[in-house]
Amino acid sequence: MIVLQEVSKVFKTPRGAFQAVHPTSLFVDEGDIYGIIGFSGAGKSTLLRLVNLIERPTSGTVIVNGQNLTSLSSGELREARRKIGMIFQHFHLIANRTVAENVEFPLAIAGVPKAKRRERVRECLRIVGLEDKLDSYPSQLSGGQKQRVAIARALANHPKVLLCDEPTSALDPQTTRSILEFLKEINRRFGVTILLVTHEMNVVREICNKVAVMEQGRLVEKFNLREGSIRPTTEIARLLFELPAAEEKTQAYV
Amino acid sequence: MFDNVIQLLPEIWLALGQTALMVGISVGCALLFGTPLGVILYLTDVGQLWENPVLFRVLNYVVNVVRSFPFIILLVALIPLTRWLLGTTIGPVAAAVPLSVAAIPYFARLVEQSIREVPKGVIEAAVSMGATTPQIIRRVLLVEARSGLVLATTVVTISFLSNSAMAGVVGGGGIGDLAIRYGYYRFETDVMVAMIIILILLVQIFQFIGNRLARLVDKR
Repeated sequence: MIVLQEVSKVFKTPRGAFQAVHPTSLFVDEGDIYGIIGFSGAGKSTLLRLVNLIERPTSGTVIVNGQNLTSLSSGELREARRKIGMIFQHFHLIANRTVAENVEFPLAIAGVPKAKRRERVRECLRIVGLEDKLDSYPSQLSGGQKQRVAIARALANHPKVLLCDEPTSALDPQTTRSILEFLKEINRRFGVTILLVTHEMNVVREICNKVAVMEQGRLVEKFNLREGSIRPTTEIARLLFELPAAEEKTQAYV
Repeated sequence: MFDNVIQLLPEIWLALGQTALMVGISVGCALLFGTPLGVILYLTDVGQLWENPVLFRVLNYVVNVVRSFPFIILLVALIPLTRWLLGTTIGPVAAAVPLSVAAIPYFARLVEQSIREVPKGVIEAAVSMGATTPQIIRRVLLVEARSGLVLATTVVTISFLSNSAMAGVVGGGGIGDLAIRYGYYRFETDVMVAMIIILILLVQIFQFIGNRLARLVDKR
């Protein structure tokens, strides 16, 4: 469960203050796969990074798993982050470490005993179907495989929440589908709540049960995708919801 | 043709040992103290994990100042320090003091540069997993920068092999000192040539090993 209460983020730049996120509230229920969609520069990634305080909000409160992260000491915050997995557009694996060592990383820093670590590493790699790549280096893997390793790494400490920052934006459509399948399975099997940022509408359609549309640092509209028909009222939401559908139609003609 | 050289063989062995001692101590100190200094330089810069503009500026300044000294001047300027530290200013160990003082900031700068090459996203991922900064240093920064660090060590070793030649000025001995004393002052050109050949060979060997090792540890 994630609760954002009036969080905002202002960046100080040489040319003055830049408001990346205007005071924004968001409620992500347990078991949700919640999408945040918008064009680049809308502030989606910044908003996501406020959730685990990689970026400290300028104002507002962040509550994850019932814990007010904004009030924690740095030590307590590190502890809390172990239960919040995160994956990225460009995977961010440690290139000089093997697949197994990458997945082991969060366990090692959490002080999990060695024997237990090895077991958990295998388990997590089995979940993403990469058990045979234990001793490979990231450079030997395809983009999709790298993202699967990143997912395994994010799962290692049994997180309750998984934050996904454009997880499929660097991948081709086919690989995208397989990554989304894994995310869906993780959500279903382990009850991991997922908050996902993307600019691809098909990603939202494929896996999200809720979506918020972001524009210029504001969440301008929210939809529950399981509830009947969606009638976007803002220009941007209409663009996002209708444009891809039109694209699909043209593809059907071709 | 190399009559003088053969005659000098015992001295050459001694000089080789002195050079090894001077280079060994200074490179050792560079690794031991320069690495943390380089890491701190990196971490205290703007936008990094231990951002601290004052400390960064002070360290940055000190590193620049020491690196500004032509080595020959540093060698002489540090004689009081060497005497205070060791009670003597003569011999390879004494010469290793100014060598180390010069090598530490030099290596620190190279360490800082190597670590800057580590993608910020990888560090951020580690932060998101709840890693402490010491954990990030040990398990991310030094790991991802390791081939750069190997090459940095190679560069420092070769630079200070060359610098150690100047150590003859303060009675440090070594290959370079031998080349000057016999080759230059006594016009024994063959000794000079032999010493230069030894230095060339050493540099080639160090660079070869460094390149190999850097490639071996680079899995990127």
